Amino acid sequence: MLRYPRHFARISAAKAALCSAAALAAAMASPAHAAGTLAGTSIVNTAQATYDDGGTTVTIDSNPVALIVDEILDIAVTSTDPGDVSASPGEADAVLTFTVTNGGNGPEAVVLTIDPNMAGDDFDPDAVTLYIDANGNGIYDAGVDTLYNAGSPPVLNPDETIAVFILGDMPAAADGERSEVELTGTAATGSGTPGTVFAGQGEGGGDAVVGSTGATSDDSGFYAIFDADLDLTKAATVLDPFGGSTQVPGSIITYTLTAEVTGSSTLNNIVITDAVPSDTTYVASSITLDGSGLTDATDADAGAFDGTGISVALGNVAGGTTRVIEFQVVID
Amino acid sequence: MKFLISLFALLAPAAALANQVELSSEVFVERNVEQADGTVTVTHTEPSQVVPGDSLVFVLTYRNSSAEPVANFTATNPMPDAVAYRDTDSPGAEFSVDGGTVFGLLADLIVTEEDGTERPARADDVTHIRWTLAEPIAGNGSGQLTFRGVVR
Repeated sequence: MLRYPRHFARISAAKAALCSAAALAAAMASPAHAAGTLAGTSIVNTAQATYDDGGTTVTIDSNPVALIVDEILDIAVTSTDPGDVSASPGEADAVLTFTVTNGGNGPEAVVLTIDPNMAGDDFDPDAVTLYIDANGNGIYDAGVDTLYNAGSPPVLNPDETIAVFILGDMPAAADGERSEVELTGTAATGSGTPGTVFAGQGEGGGDAVVGSTGATSDDSGFYAIFDADLDLTKAATVLDPFGGSTQVPGSIITYTLTAEVTGSSTLNNIVITDAVPSDTTYVASSITLDGSGLTDATDADAGAFDGTGISVALGNVAGGTTRVIEFQVVID
Repeated sequence: MKFLISLFALLAPAAALANQVELSSEVFVERNVEQADGTVTVTHTEPSQVVPGDSLVFVLTYRNSSAEPVANFTATNPMPDAVAYRDTDSPGAEFSVDGGTVFGLLADLIVTEEDGTERPARADDVTHIRWTLAEPIAGNGSGQLTFRGVVR
């Protein structure tokens, strides 16, 4: 059985009755915050009683008990990239995206720091900068989003989430190398072991209390270098009119162009061109791509002959793919 | 007869009327404190400050300061907006989920959502808790009513 200290207060029935009309209107609507009741909110509890006193009903109020809701400090930082952010060697301003959430119940400035030099990765980005998503679209917009200012960190309302962007310049790293970059967000009021109290520093005059996150949070984003190269080799075979391989007028030269894309990236809009050598004549409709014939006209298919040379548009070719082009000329 | 009474009575100066019955309200924060030996002790402190999620114990103490019995005693506690009702150890409690208009057992109450659908009331919906004592309070008698809530 619990024992409670007792004390009493008397409030007149008349005073209580005066309050009742306004009170009924305020009955509903509690703040529905994930973070809970807003810091600084006053909780006042007053009970009433009625009883019969010789035929009249008397109403009395209890003493009011007032509590103030302290500020909880909770910060969450999350990388929102779906995976490694691919970047090419030397690329400037490759973007990592994070969200920062104030999980507390009061407005709180969040101090952000970047560590681009994490151990255990392959390289470190250069010229790392941090931007705040000024227009709230979750995507980095150069010239629109604002550079993080450590002297004036962003203030997040309870439950508010903002996007922030880390921009880094890629060094001359090799294909497949990765870099880890860590973003840390910390409540400006303070952080530490959950339950740590910063007396009087809470929103609305109460204390600030470190919540379950410790009021600090970090997460990492990753750059991965995706590089690709095109290796082009050319070979020729000759078939003379006599079934041999001598280079005489009338001999047919078959050129084989082998285009190999290496690396883990994709090369876009590859077009292979080759001029027809002097003293030879292009053999009409002789272009093939991976063994399939292409027309000479500049049309929907990939091949074309413009009178001086052939071209084959390979489009976007993923690393690890090899395309083989052949065409023929006849020696004049 | 029972009638609606104030929900948010503000601080009013104590009057000199000689009420037969006095009602006091206290609020304690209930915390489970793990001791060094691994056991958990429930502590109650009288706070001035709370945080969301804190368990609160509300204690209403009534005392009949006269020698005469007092009949038809009811005690009503409107839930502060920021406190969600949880449970009570004091028998005979009735609840309101509509600002104190209709009282009944929580299991019998219905909440109408904004879109017009109805659902059974939950503890979170409670706006008022009320006790009506079946027996008069004896002369110089007293008692306590307690319930728990949690800071939203």
